[in-house]
Amino acid sequence: MFDRIVAHLREPVRIDPALDERVMAEIAALRAPAPALLRRFLPLAGLAAAAAVLAVVFVARPRAPTIRELQFVLVAPQAATVSLVGDFNDWDAARTPMRPLRSDGPVWSAVVPLAPGRYHYAFLVNGSRWLADPAAPTASDDGFGTPSSVVTVSGT
Amino acid sequence: MSINTVGVSDADLVRRVLAGDTDTYGALVARYRDRLGRYAVHMLGDREEAEEALQDAFVRGYRSLRRCNDPARFGPWLYGILVNRCRTAGARAQRRRQMFVRNEAALNGASLPAPLVDRAEFEDVVRLALARLTPECREAFLLKFVEDLEYEEIARLTGAGVSALKMRVKRAREQLRAILTEAEHV
Amino acid sequence: MKLAALFVALTLATRVAAQEPRLERLDSAARAPVAALIDSARVTGLPAEPLIQRALEGTTKGAPAGRVVAAVRRLAADLGRAREALGLSTAPLELEAGAAALRAGASPAVLTQLRRARHQPLMVPLAVLADLVASGVPPDSAAAAVLVLAGSVRDADLVEFRRAVERDIALGASPAGAATGVARDAALGVTDLNSSARTGSARPRRP
Repeated sequence: MFDRIVAHLREPVRIDPALDERVMAEIAALRAPAPALLRRFLPLAGLAAAAAVLAVVFVARPRAPTIRELQFVLVAPQAATVSLVGDFNDWDAARTPMRPLRSDGPVWSAVVPLAPGRYHYAFLVNGSRWLADPAAPTASDDGFGTPSSVVTVSGT
Repeated sequence: MSINTVGVSDADLVRRVLAGDTDTYGALVARYRDRLGRYAVHMLGDREEAEEALQDAFVRGYRSLRRCNDPARFGPWLYGILVNRCRTAGARAQRRRQMFVRNEAALNGASLPAPLVDRAEFEDVVRLALARLTPECREAFLLKFVEDLEYEEIARLTGAGVSALKMRVKRAREQLRAILTEAEHV
Repeated sequence: MKLAALFVALTLATRVAAQEPRLERLDSAARAPVAALIDSARVTGLPAEPLIQRALEGTTKGAPAGRVVAAVRRLAADLGRAREALGLSTAPLELEAGAAALRAGASPAVLTQLRRARHQPLMVPLAVLADLVASGVPPDSAAAAVLVLAGSVRDADLVEFRRAVERDIALGASPAGAATGVARDAALGVTDLNSSARTGSARPRRP
């Protein structure tokens, strides 16, 4: 029995290789504390137009639970206004207006800081039309008449 | 692993970092991550805390790299840093929650799952059993039996005398045997 | 008796509404019943925030009060069932994800099995399970796939797994086939779930 314990304890443990990046990021911050940049993860909510992603790294000590900045994107060529509405802003359509990535371009975007969790959300176009996110999972139907999408932010 | 660090010795990597090639430290991190991680996971019993302690140890390793007297012994030197980080983390965790139970009477009252056929249950039991050792015993046991260090080396890392360490390891073995035998017969 | 119950409900509603100003946004017909549901949840130790958000969602979308109350009631019940399946000390985020998985069609037994298979937080595996079923994967196939992976695979990889399955479905695979196929490939090491898990960063990547 004892041998079995030791054998088990000696088995290799796999640590998330993302640790390397966190270490190096912390070291970089030690050497150059001034610049602060943001990493964004892009849920695939559009087409190749989503290649307008900016990727910048936030240099800090990422500890769980980490706040991640997520970029939400919607292709809506006919829209005059688009709002991002969801669990993360109390379903208040005024809180997170989206902006076109290029002036009068069809791609609308908003960046939201999110703690780990699972969030329902939807887009409100021109104040009256609800759209789910075409490339995100759909939330179970609550009978509200319009579907919502789901985004999951993990803690690691 | 980058093409120009495979097969390169720790000593050479350390020297490169000290010469200003910071990025190469990443290769050392990648090299030792899992091995040191194993100790941290079993010592702290919690993967998240282990990763924090590990990250901490690596960063401190970088910051005090100049004080690594023998670059060829970077590994054992880093171990020493990790052992310290785990002690700090363990002490903090103990204040936060009652995971590490030291009361013998309380130990015997708790039930353990049986039979130990299921791998996940076995892992749970081992983790709980380890948690029941005192931190000093657990530390000595892991360094000797899992990390395979010599007593002299462990003495250097922990600051304890060799005979004290031998006693701790002996105690750890007896306790683990007792706990796990009990588990088999429940 | 009815009056007394109504009085209690109104008092409760007032108290909860005082603690929770967001409920002011609700339709007056929904406010008291929702407040009572939230109060019950709090008393039994279930998380209140998801219930509040569900009520706000229905309200913002203009749903009738009856629908809002029904949705909140259903969610509260799902959270309770999730806690039965996952254990009393389950974290709120895990309960939410578990509730979603149950609502999507996973059985409580699957949740319990997941709890046994994986010693890390379950929010992501449960969320992935819910999302897969929402994408059309039959609950049994989704459960089987997530269970196979959950014991050994990290959160980020599980999310990648879900994306890979959805990609396959979008490309025309049957949902069941997609889930089983990607899981099998991942388990055999054929597919590196990790390959697209990280987006670009300013620093040159290490090979």
